[in-house]
Amino acid sequence: MKRKITIGGIGSVLLGDDGVGPYVAGMLEAGYKFDENVTVADLGTPGLDLLAHLSGTDALILIDSVSNGAPPGTVTLYRKEDILRHGPAPVRMDPHSPVLSESLLIAELAGEGPQDILLIGITGEQYEVGAGLSEPARKAAAQAVVEILAELDRLDTSHSKLSTQPFSAWWKPMAEALPVAGPAETLAPALTGR
Amino acid sequence: MSKRITIDPITRIEGHLRIDVEVENYAVGNAWASCTMWRGIETILRGRDPRDAWMFTQRFCGVCTTVHAMASVRAVEDALKLPVPANAQYIRNLILIAHALHDHIVHFYQLSALDWVDILQIPKADPAAASKLAETISPWTRNSRNELKAAQDKVKAVAASGQLGIFQNGYWGHPAMRLSPEVNLLAFTHYVQALEYQRKALQVVGMLGSKTPHIQNLLVGGVANAIDLDNQSALNMEKLEMIHTLLDEVVTFINQVYLIDVCAVAAMYPEWFKIGSGVTNYLAVPDLPLDSEAHGYDLPGGVIMHGDLAGVHGFATASDPIFRQSVTEDVTHAYYQGDKPLHPWEGETEPDFTQWDGEKKYSWVKSPRYNGQPMQVGPLAQVLIGYAQGHALTKKYADLALGQVSAIGKINATPALLHSTLGRHAARAIRAAMLGELAQKHWGLLVDNIAKGDLTVHNEPVFPYGEVEGVGTHEAPRGTLSHWIVIKGGKIKNYQAVVPSTWNASPRDESGAHGPYEASLLRTPLARPEEPLEVLRTVHSFDPCMACACHTFDPTGRQIARVKVL
Repeated sequence: MKRKITIGGIGSVLLGDDGVGPYVAGMLEAGYKFDENVTVADLGTPGLDLLAHLSGTDALILIDSVSNGAPPGTVTLYRKEDILRHGPAPVRMDPHSPVLSESLLIAELAGEGPQDILLIGITGEQYEVGAGLSEPARKAAAQAVVEILAELDRLDTSHSKLSTQPFSAWWKPMAEALPVAGPAETLAPALTGR
Repeated sequence: MSKRITIDPITRIEGHLRIDVEVENYAVGNAWASCTMWRGIETILRGRDPRDAWMFTQRFCGVCTTVHAMASVRAVEDALKLPVPANAQYIRNLILIAHALHDHIVHFYQLSALDWVDILQIPKADPAAASKLAETISPWTRNSRNELKAAQDKVKAVAASGQLGIFQNGYWGHPAMRLSPEVNLLAFTHYVQALEYQRKALQVVGMLGSKTPHIQNLLVGGVANAIDLDNQSALNMEKLEMIHTLLDEVVTFINQVYLIDVCAVAAMYPEWFKIGSGVTNYLAVPDLPLDSEAHGYDLPGGVIMHGDLAGVHGFATASDPIFRQSVTEDVTHAYYQGDKPLHPWEGETEPDFTQWDGEKKYSWVKSPRYNGQPMQVGPLAQVLIGYAQGHALTKKYADLALGQVSAIGKINATPALLHSTLGRHAARAIRAAMLGELAQKHWGLLVDNIAKGDLTVHNEPVFPYGEVEGVGTHEAPRGTLSHWIVIKGGKIKNYQAVVPSTWNASPRDESGAHGPYEASLLRTPLARPEEPLEVLRTVHSFDPCMACACHTFDPTGRQIARVKVL
């Protein structure tokens, strides 16, 4: 049986470069076809709900914005030992804490964690509400895709390119956005009399 | 001499709950709850198409995704007076229930059980004795000696490795930890099993919503699920049967494990029925509409003031006129501009950041008030409001749970004990059991309605040129959620989300009244102030969730929580 591979983009699409993980997931979904053992997901900011995506996964590839002091747009690769080096956060107040290491430790405890982990970290430039991606993050996203395809080759699974259209994220800033639900054909004279 | 303790998980940009308490003579004398990040995310919605709003609001919070999506479509539907087809109501209800079951299970086991369970006691347990003990309180088939032994071995292996891993930061051996090694082992075994069952609940969300964590099937006016019992790509009988099976398994876990564990832990820490009551004004909204026009609901809502169950006021609908009129948000102690409480439709979110000052402004959370009063929301509010109104399903499981606590603890557990830290945990388990029964019911309602030949899932929204306003409510896992929308000419003019944790984590208001977290901490005894386990027990009992999620992984390990004693 082929090993199950999960590719997950992590981050909030509402907060500038924090949306780079979901953006990369969107690029992969729109642009590529993968083998059946590969799942691509926009995981948002899952907290401990990340656990649900770890179980049964043999190899995990995550894309997330990172804070590592490097210049914006830097792509850094982390493996399991880098992620677990510092352990879980000392005090857990709510389910939102960044819990990558904690989720991995719990999954491991339950005997169902992935053996192979690659975290593709992209150093963000800004995290402004509604700002969309900065130019450095956008360039880094393209580089992240290259890294992911290389990792898939290493994991011995195939992929093919579906589309060369640039990916367009639904959460783009207002100025660049078209209505997601389609043209506003529903705007009609007042019906309710209010 | 009083000591000041700050519990503040520090991260670079993520918003967090911070708790400050003043300790005098080993008890909390005063308390402040703060959120450390601006949550003005609503501003992103202004000018957008109301039909898209739910996709954005679903991203407010990575854990409460579906709840914000649901409240948003309901707000637009309320503004347009747009009915939702019965099928869509049932499909939405099933998603909401499955999400809540997942959330409640994770909250108890993964997020708060280790406040009560001492991992270091587990290696001392006798698995055979633990199994025998379990047999006396539950028919659960996975309490065998072998299953318990396997769980114990996991803990032993972690301990032997010298790296405590996931357990490295607990307050193990704390004098407030009092369970026997065998009960610790049972609870830990269920902690591991819970991972499986919470996942099954999420699978149901994924099957109906087409993806998790962000469902894709919502539309203003209904859902996008095609129903065709014989079509492989639609919602068909095979998928419905699979959903039924998954729900059955989750419901069995809740009734035979979760509810029993909460009762057992409660029975062994009975003093915690007297700690942590705080604000005893309660608010819940009706939810799980029973038909297209929502003529009835399976979860009751209403208001209880000052703990007076006999004086309960019930809400007839999910956007009850009294509820619509009574909510305001105060910013006296929050980092926002403004000099008077505002109704959410007039709500403003203009930041005014100053340094943390317990006398002045100290939180990014506003103070929602109901007729000017702080309100506690969450499963406890819902259970008490249902119980006070004689709601049959609420009474069934509340009485069952109180009976279990009485039997195990050899005490007389009455509903009055529920105004407490343990009451919040018990109410959450009671609510989970209620939701489990309702999951099966709403599955049946959906299947019966489809069998009648009704395949409608969507009513098309039509927007007037003028201005309309609406409120969408949902009784979410953490309590009453309301999204308030003003639509003008088919575009969003204003949008405010009043989230459960804003009610509960609110700072003081203009009259100086504490918010529910703050009030619940007053007089809490602390055995070791430098290890404020008791504070965490009470705060965790609310299931805090600061709804300002932004997760940036920091590989340098600077996500360090601080427990600072001044």
